[in-house]
Amino acid sequence: MAVAIRQPGWYRGAIGLVLGAAFGFCLVVGLRLLSGLDAFQTEQTGYPQVVVPLITAPFGFLFGFGAFDYWFRWAAGKPTIPEDHSGHGATKWQDYFKFNTDHKVIGTQYVVTTLFFFLVGGLLALLMRAELAQPGTQIVAANTFNGLFSTHAVVMIFLFIIPVFAGLANYVLPLMIGAPDMAFPRLNALSFWLLPIAGLIFLGSFLAPGGSFDAGWTGYAPLSTGAPLGQSFFNIGVQFAGASSIATALNFLVTIITMRAPGMNLWRMPLLVWANLSTSLLVVGATPFVAGAQFMVFFDRILGMNFFNFLEGGDVISYQHIFWFYSHPAVYIMMLPGFGIISEIISTHARKPVFGYRLMALALIGIVVLSYSVWAHHMFVAGMFSWLRVPIMITTMLIAVPTGIKVFSWLGTLFYGKIHTYSTAMLFALAFIITFTVGGISGVMLGMIPIDIHVSDTYFVVAHIHFVLFGGSVFTIFAGIYHWFPKMTGRMYDERLGRIHFWGTLVGTWMTFIPMHWIGMDGMPRRVADYASQYGDWNLLISVSAFVLGAVQLIFLYNMIVSWRFGPKAGPNPWRANSIEWQVSSPPPVFNFDEIPRVVGGPYEYGTPGARHAIMGGEGEGAEVPETKPSTVTVPS
Amino acid sequence: MESASIAAHGHVDDHHHGPPEAHQSARIDRTILGILLFILSEVMLFGAFFAAYFFLRVVADPASWPPEGVELPVLIAGINTCILVSSSFTIHYALEAIKHNNHRGLKLGLTTTWLLGATFLFIQINEYIHIGFTPRDGAFGSIFFSLTGLHGAHVFVGLLLLTFANIRAYRGHFGPEQKDHLGVEVPGIYWHFVDIMWIIVFLAVYII
Ligand code: HEM
Ligand SMILES: [Cu+2]
Repeated sequence: MAVAIRQPGWYRGAIGLVLGAAFGFCLVVGLRLLSGLDAFQTEQTGYPQVVVPLITAPFGFLFGFGAFDYWFRWAAGKPTIPEDHSGHGATKWQDYFKFNTDHKVIGTQYVVTTLFFFLVGGLLALLMRAELAQPGTQIVAANTFNGLFSTHAVVMIFLFIIPVFAGLANYVLPLMIGAPDMAFPRLNALSFWLLPIAGLIFLGSFLAPGGSFDAGWTGYAPLSTGAPLGQSFFNIGVQFAGASSIATALNFLVTIITMRAPGMNLWRMPLLVWANLSTSLLVVGATPFVAGAQFMVFFDRILGMNFFNFLEGGDVISYQHIFWFYSHPAVYIMMLPGFGIISEIISTHARKPVFGYRLMALALIGIVVLSYSVWAHHMFVAGMFSWLRVPIMITTMLIAVPTGIKVFSWLGTLFYGKIHTYSTAMLFALAFIITFTVGGISGVMLGMIPIDIHVSDTYFVVAHIHFVLFGGSVFTIFAGIYHWFPKMTGRMYDERLGRIHFWGTLVGTWMTFIPMHWIGMDGMPRRVADYASQYGDWNLLISVSAFVLGAVQLIFLYNMIVSWRFGPKAGPNPWRANSIEWQVSSPPPVFNFDEIPRVVGGPYEYGTPGARHAIMGGEGEGAEVPETKPSTVTVPS
Repeated sequence: MESASIAAHGHVDDHHHGPPEAHQSARIDRTILGILLFILSEVMLFGAFFAAYFFLRVVADPASWPPEGVELPVLIAGINTCILVSSSFTIHYALEAIKHNNHRGLKLGLTTTWLLGATFLFIQINEYIHIGFTPRDGAFGSIFFSLTGLHGAHVFVGLLLLTFANIRAYRGHFGPEQKDHLGVEVPGIYWHFVDIMWIIVFLAVYII
């Protein structure tokens, strides 16, 4: 026991948590008493005795858990322990609950954790749909409903979609570029552990007096600056989630730039790597803005500052500018990694090189650049500078161009391809192209000022975001999970259950979100618990479909869990793919490679006889393999 | 391949064999690239607060900025600026010294930098106490304390990093090879950033 307390791990973590909380609490109460104030402050925007421990406790936990041990030794000038790789790899399930530095373990930790939050977010959504099935108030009061849609969106965005992509890429990206691990393995582990912390803070807000935060995922000031305590949980949770994604993005960038296998120049990187490169650029550049915005709201609430207090010279609209300067790029943070996944899958299962590979990569970069110039299309009706409207409308139209390039390139890849649909991953990829295009078109509609003025804050926007986020991001996530499931677990999933899941999800998505376009254009406002009875029939249909959609996800969970344990062995390369992660065993060895592979050609040379992407170590050292030229004519194989 | 994975998982006696050395595909060192990207995101964080500054001062367009009756101690802040700027030179001196294997110069440079940084922070805290308004006093108070405070927090972090570098320097740890003095170079890069950022904050808050 005494040893267990000194070793990094859960015991020490729990002690750290308690000490951290106690430290924050005593600090606040002590300082207040010293300055002659009441020990406790319970104005709804205050509660420093709760808010400060909420910040210090997670740090206490991380100290105890061992997240900083190595850095502390370094800081104290002690000789750092020579790397013994003891925190690396997993041989038993308990290893997944440790501060593990293996990118593959971290990837799995990420995916499993985020799927858990997907489930939580989904249940919150179904609760809302139950309320909305009929006009009038059924099961939740209006302000509880506000809490539900806020937490639903925040959990889905910050704890599912953004991090699940980081998780998938964590697993496959170092393998794809022939790196033994990520550039900063300890930072990588820290990024992961910040995530459940953020999740618990968000969900913990339900326990706060006044209920969970309820100003929407956008948390607009001054609604948020005057909201009950739960809003501070949101402010703090976003900082943890944001720090996690910045740290991961930095790690990806350094890994991609400095750790590629010999021969892998930029134009030989798989598009998934390009996609994560672009996403990471967005994260590093934009996420600090949401951190800034939440800091300001937090300061207004806790320290009585006046950033958004009009009476004291504050500026209300500035919140929206700063927030959307992050959150529009964020929608591409939620989409670009999915684009990468789709390119891999389409090319593999159409047995053809990606059509216009270089343009695909450049389109990603184009999206990154343009993303920073369209934020104000979320503010057309907010009373912002009127001169900014038309320029923003133009850039918004422009950003559809690189997005369109990607869609046409996938179609071009499929064209005359030898399309195999035996994998659920491919089914999701194909469905993604169509569903996402619908969402993209409604996006362009929303980008046009006159239409936006009409449908702003209606269900039309809800339809748009769910077509791009569910039909877009979530479909790519499913595609990616099915695609790499054999690699990550070494086993095959059940294809029949996969198909049931696919068709259920496809039909469920369309039935749930298509009608929202109609009722939105008819004027049903979003973010309401009750609505005019004329929308009743459509809403009933939507609610029923939503429950079907939710139920189908249970099949997915069952399939994943059971196949992980009992599925048939998959073998290293079930999809006959070229990229490097498929050339090692499933699951890959602890250190990925015995020898770094050598890259000799593009990643998608399907259909070119004898073409190779990489030569693995131990494959006849020194054997001269001719560099393959990128193919121009493609022969379906 | 299968056998490689089994060997690595089982307790064969080569369990402690490490990963293969990663191929170095860019000339820049990983840690340096890492700190540069981190600085990029820090710049954006300052950017968010400068955006707020712009809105509060230009868009909200108050009658006077700074508000009537507020006198900022420009002279003291100016002296403080000189202190911080000179610390950029001393840290540069420390780095050059260790590149020439001059450990005495390294220690001298690092210690002076640390002292200069600490003086800066001390003067700034003193300024906060005597400035005569609080973060609660109007939008001006909010943005003044946020910008200078955010910067002060960065000085504090920089000082921590310098403390670590000092400890290791006095234990004789660094060497002339780049990989042996990253522990000076990386905090140095960060310190330069803190320095340049201060000049921008100083110009925005005190001068224009
Ligand atoms: C062709 C590309 C796209 C265009 C032109 C576009 C345009 C727009 C516009 C103009 C709005 C504002 C509607 C309003 O509030 O009145 C909007 C909202 C939104 N879009 Fe998109 N969009 C595009 C793609 C995407 C993608 C790929 C995603 C995410 C994967 C996304 C996620 C969202 C979200 C979450 C909102 C709602 C934010 C809120 O108010 O809560 N969009 N989009
Ligand atoms: Cu947008």
